[in-house]
Amino acid sequence: MSLPIFPIPQWEQSLTLFFIIITGATLVCAGALTYFRRVRMDRPPVGTFNARDVVILLIFIGILPFVYGWLPDTVVTCLLAVTFGSALYIGYRPVLGAAGIWLAIGLLLGFNIWSSHHLLGTIPGWQVWYTEQSVTVGLSAVAVCNLYVQGGMKLRHVAWLSLGLAGYDVLFASYYPLTGRLLARYVTHPFTPVLGMRFGGVDYAVGLGDLLVYSLFFVATYKAYGAQAAKIAAAVIVVMGGFATAFLPFLFNLHNANLDTLIPAQSLFGPFAFVTYLWMKRHYGRERTMAEYLASQGDAAAASQVERAPAPEPASI
Amino acid sequence: MFETGIRQFRLAWGMTQGRRLNPGNVARLVDDVLATIAEFGEPGRDAGELIDGPMADPAARLEVANRSLRRTARRLAAQSPFYARRFASANVDPAKLDVAGLRAIPVTVKADLMERPGDFRCTDVPAYLATRTTGTTGRPAEVWLSRYEMELWPALGALASVLRGELGPGDVMQVNLSSRGAVAMHTSATSCRLAGAGYRPLGIVPPEAALDSLAEGGATILLTTPSYLGELVVAARQAGLGAGDFRLRRLVVGGEVLSASLVRAATATFGVPNVDDPYSMTEIVPVTGRSCSQRHQHHDLNVGLTELIDLDTGEPAAPGALGTLVITPYFPYRDCTPVFRFDTRDVARRLPDEPLRCELAGVPATSQILGKADQLLRLPSGEVVTPRQLIEAIEALPAEPWPARYRATVSDDTGRIRLTLPASAIAGYGAAEAGRHFAAAGLDVDLEIVGNDQAASLRRTRSDMHETTFGSQHALVGA
Repeated sequence: MSLPIFPIPQWEQSLTLFFIIITGATLVCAGALTYFRRVRMDRPPVGTFNARDVVILLIFIGILPFVYGWLPDTVVTCLLAVTFGSALYIGYRPVLGAAGIWLAIGLLLGFNIWSSHHLLGTIPGWQVWYTEQSVTVGLSAVAVCNLYVQGGMKLRHVAWLSLGLAGYDVLFASYYPLTGRLLARYVTHPFTPVLGMRFGGVDYAVGLGDLLVYSLFFVATYKAYGAQAAKIAAAVIVVMGGFATAFLPFLFNLHNANLDTLIPAQSLFGPFAFVTYLWMKRHYGRERTMAEYLASQGDAAAASQVERAPAPEPASI
Repeated sequence: MFETGIRQFRLAWGMTQGRRLNPGNVARLVDDVLATIAEFGEPGRDAGELIDGPMADPAARLEVANRSLRRTARRLAAQSPFYARRFASANVDPAKLDVAGLRAIPVTVKADLMERPGDFRCTDVPAYLATRTTGTTGRPAEVWLSRYEMELWPALGALASVLRGELGPGDVMQVNLSSRGAVAMHTSATSCRLAGAGYRPLGIVPPEAALDSLAEGGATILLTTPSYLGELVVAARQAGLGAGDFRLRRLVVGGEVLSASLVRAATATFGVPNVDDPYSMTEIVPVTGRSCSQRHQHHDLNVGLTELIDLDTGEPAAPGALGTLVITPYFPYRDCTPVFRFDTRDVARRLPDEPLRCELAGVPATSQILGKADQLLRLPSGEVVTPRQLIEAIEALPAEPWPARYRATVSDDTGRIRLTLPASAIAGYGAAEAGRHFAAAGLDVDLEIVGNDQAASLRRTRSDMHETTFGSQHALVGA
């Protein structure tokens, strides 16, 4: 029985991937939490995230790969540019102001497009491209995470979303490998939605969707139950989102004919995130609302509103 | 959140296009607002635009008014026999109508509505509920409403109320209005249901019973009339009740003149910061007005056009002049028995032409309602005395005679005001002293004092429409 020859041992690849995932997840989660604590996004006069939004998101996420697969690459690039541009604009306009945000978006997206066409011939070129790509993806994940959580998304919603994505990942990464095909087709184009790096000719990356779910889980837990609970959420992300995802191929010798391995990270993380949510709900009780969170941070305006409808303090506070 | 955006878009689209709105969609938006408040403690920053519209720009206001008038007139010309004739006789093309050309159409008066109510009914919509005016100023008029109207108005009312924090879960609204006021009762009940608030319709019961219910039943909002509020204040004081005995956070009154002295007494007695005094009237629902801290009356721009017409010339009132409010509710907010340029005979004064500085400065305003036009006193000097001037002065007497009972005429002989009061109004305060009190209020009056038994006949108020209970009737035992 012949064994495939790996240019780099698989345990080393797994360790590198673990490092990449943990670095990305740490940066995005820390960034999202810092943003959450310091920046208040504009929100619409009426509307808060609810269970039906989770369903709509899952349907949208389920349909999108087919749409991307059907559309020409140029159109996909345009759609992704609009998506990233919108996320960055919504997220960082409160920080950079109207003029600054357009300049920043122009530079970031412009360099992304330029580097995709001019830098991919060498390993250092790939590394510059990945760095720029990672900055765009990371900033976007921080923005979208805050858009949802500051828009009223609760840990309950994140847990159900994770569970839904677990099923999605199993379906589209394993039984009907659309995600892998899309990634393989699109990976050298601008705005590839991954955060990663190339070492020794091997790409190591974590998807934007995964980073978004990790940061949602982390920040929503912090909002709902406070810092202690957020540490538990961080541990779940490290173990199930990082370690299990990175070392699964090594432990179970998973790879495909191209020696590429696409690990359905959410199928590992989702169920554990859901169970963690159930445990927190049982242990800490009702989640804090956004108003209660702001009141706990000494926001006088929110506090005055909360006085009208007092709610029990979470057990963790 | 995604669905809320679609609902808001549907509402905005319906409003701008002038199509019938979906009351169910508005009701679901109320749920969305409640969920928003539950999560964030308050609606987002631009909530005001959702209910008041982006109407701060006069040019935008005029454009909206012109489009809404044309839309309303086109429908009335096709569906309302009365207005089909009226527009034809005025030689007005509804499709070209605008605010400037509105005066070509004669105002509609209450007598029109009473004499030919069937002619006002639109032929394209089935009638559902008949409501009558209370008839405090004469014979009642009957207005038929459609099911659509009775679903839409409370939904829009609930949406505005929850967005403004005026109504919500945990509130209990006690209503001491005439139970025959079908629109007010139905609308307030449904608004409470949509807002998740409790609703207690009591009617005009003995004040003691209403106070018991207020104190023990935990009402947070009281909806009543100024005259009944006056009776409640008097009864509460006699019972030794004060702010600590009530959970009220809002007092809302309407339908009569509310005096400043009664506001002060009611806020102190019931422990609320203010008394809301919105303007509404059965014939012109759902157009309303809101009072502000500077005692202006701000008129709703979204659902109707309000004109202030000079009492003598029929032209728009000049700054500082008195005028009667002439109101046109727009389609699709008024559906079954619409009126066009309805002369309410409610008198207000046009404010000076300078920017408003109150919290509702973006919404056009007049003075407070000063009374009914046919109750104005015209003195030989040319001065006009309004019912509000008299009520303010009477209710400010040391005897605190709430509600004010009086009769006022202008003497043909002296040209002075002859003011008839019950003895209780000046109790402990001689007639001469009372005369000085009125003079200080700018009223040169000859007082006539009658027995207290004649008080109710001097001026009828809405609190006179008593509704009996078995508890308030004398029982015939052993019959």
